[in-house]
Amino acid sequence: MHTEAIDPPGVQWLRVSPKYVTVRLVEWAFGNVLMLAVLSLPLVFVLLGWWRWPPLWLAITVPAVMLVLAVWRLVLIPRQVRAIGYAERDDDLLIRRGIFFQRTMVVPYGRMQYVDVAVGPVERSLGLCTLKLHTASAGTNAHLPGLPAAEGARLREQLSARGEARLAGL
Amino acid sequence: MSLESNATESLPGTAVDGDWKRVHPASPFVRGWVALAAVAYFVGRDAFERMLQGRDFLDPNLNGRVPWLLAGGGILLLLTVSGFILSWYFTRYQVAEGYVRVNTGFLFKQQRQARLDRVQAIDIVQPLLARIFGLAELKFEVADAGESAVRLAYLPLAQAKQLRATILARAAGVVSEPGKEEEIPEAPEHVVLSVPPARLIGSLVLSEQTVGILIGAAVVVATSVLFENSAIFLALIPGLLGIGAAYWSSFNKGYNFTAAISPDGIRLRYGLLDTQAQTLPPGRIQALMVTQPPIWRLFGWYRMHVNVAGYGVSASTEGAARTMLLPVGMKSDVLRMMSLVLPDPGVEDPERVFTAGLDGLAPAAPESALADGFTTTPRRARLLAPLGWRRNGFFATKTALLIRSGRWWHTLVLVPHQRTQSMALHQGPVARRFGVADLVLHTTAGPVSPRVFQASVEQAVELFDQQAARAREARKRQTSEQWLAQVAPQAPEVAAAAQPVEPDQPVEPAQSVEPAQPEQPQTSHQQEDRHHG
Repeated sequence: MHTEAIDPPGVQWLRVSPKYVTVRLVEWAFGNVLMLAVLSLPLVFVLLGWWRWPPLWLAITVPAVMLVLAVWRLVLIPRQVRAIGYAERDDDLLIRRGIFFQRTMVVPYGRMQYVDVAVGPVERSLGLCTLKLHTASAGTNAHLPGLPAAEGARLREQLSARGEARLAGL
Repeated sequence: MSLESNATESLPGTAVDGDWKRVHPASPFVRGWVALAAVAYFVGRDAFERMLQGRDFLDPNLNGRVPWLLAGGGILLLLTVSGFILSWYFTRYQVAEGYVRVNTGFLFKQQRQARLDRVQAIDIVQPLLARIFGLAELKFEVADAGESAVRLAYLPLAQAKQLRATILARAAGVVSEPGKEEEIPEAPEHVVLSVPPARLIGSLVLSEQTVGILIGAAVVVATSVLFENSAIFLALIPGLLGIGAAYWSSFNKGYNFTAAISPDGIRLRYGLLDTQAQTLPPGRIQALMVTQPPIWRLFGWYRMHVNVAGYGVSASTEGAARTMLLPVGMKSDVLRMMSLVLPDPGVEDPERVFTAGLDGLAPAAPESALADGFTTTPRRARLLAPLGWRRNGFFATKTALLIRSGRWWHTLVLVPHQRTQSMALHQGPVARRFGVADLVLHTTAGPVSPRVFQASVEQAVELFDQQAARAREARKRQTSEQWLAQVAPQAPEVAAAAQPVEPDQPVEPAQSVEPAQPEQPQTSHQQEDRHHG
């Protein structure tokens, strides 16, 4: 597995389930298809001759740009999912994500206040779950989507146990 | 004295721990005076206006209805007052066995308890009316970044102070045997600095706010000249009132600002009409920020903000004032406050390092980039940050990470290693092109958000790794929430007396950082001497 420039050297990343791509696709479809439909309405109205105002070029350009962006996002999804990684180290958990805008985060076990496991309807049907770590800081936006349910449960138990062993005050 | 103890017999008792006590009986009236005033206003306004107009005291149309109205008003008043009395009667608090407990409410009862050793800060607040009556509100903050965990409003001032001393002593781990409960004396204080009113006024006049107002005023004048319409000025009146109120509230909050140090922690007192005394126990400051707007540089002024877990973020002036560690101060004041927050700076020459952090600028020449110790943005990224690249930098001491940024708005952020929550490296496409990355340190909610801007990738990754290790080491050293227990098991006074060697010793990594804390008065003395010398 290749590691990016900002990743600490010598880390063996674990990847999330490839099935998470499906979850992202469903989310993408919900968001973008709806948005495209709404933005295409003026075009339909103009073509039907109901509306006069948006000139035809504008009515075409706006949904077209949106379509290009949506397709771009769609193409990126598998790579984005592959870019999500996590690594359990002795004292902290590393989480990375992103291709263009990369982020590598380290959450010390002793700093974890609680661990959430959330499962949405699509995730449930695929046997996946999302793990969220919370520290005393609101800036810790550490969530790991697309974990297989068993791995999520294992990680939750593991993190709680390690957190307890290394518990530190604020 | 005997009279006083008699008086407090039935009221909330002063001394003994473990009793259930009530707040001062006048407190609902002080808290709810607005409601009373509203009742009085509705009843009295009409009659008063009539009297002014020289007419009958009562409306002639009301003939015969007067008794009803009076009865209605009386019942309203009675209900309000009895509500007050009931709420007072059912509000009780207790400090015992390491907990503070508060029971409130008579229809919907609420029982709340908070662990004393989880205290993040204790404030004693005196709004103007409470101050007239010699009362004070005690706010007990825990780390939930929301409203105060426990608010006791109102106690007589002396009792509030006594309670604060008790809570802080218990939280620090002072145990008194159950048999002999003696009063815990207030910890001795040592005033470190105060802000003269003239400087406060000057700082307000020269603040960014003023610059904004001047620009706004210039725009208005220009438009009114351009359109030859003087009515625009009328639209300014509400704005002016708002601005005046903002200045007044800053002045009211910052007036007579005094910082003192005691074994309980840092004490901040301020306020003109409403006074507030904050106590931040040792090690409760999560992050610290020193800023200097461009105009203030002429006078060498700085201001300091802190993140404290209990205070959270709040847009109100009161909230903003609570996270203010120093409204305006000279560099010596800043250094002194830093020495209180970080008793052991973890470097040989803290003054030079902090000065470099406050005002330093890396040399423009490519080779000597490490001149003042701060690792700055590499020269190759100077197009990405044309102004800030010589300024943006970081410096890790043994105990804290210093982050400086801002070519015009000088900013220095300090995060003690054991307070780092989590960290993240960020890199966007442009930053990757220049081979730089940002390091974000996550801390509790507050005005300070530490971020190392545009460090070179290798240095950022190295810092990321080292910082994780340093935070881990620092956390291992800090084992207990009770700050006295982190030191030798001896009284703070003894520790302070037996301490003349400490500051010049280089601190070994294995040795605890914490021992310097209860001896802060001592350290601050020495720090002062160093500045004068």
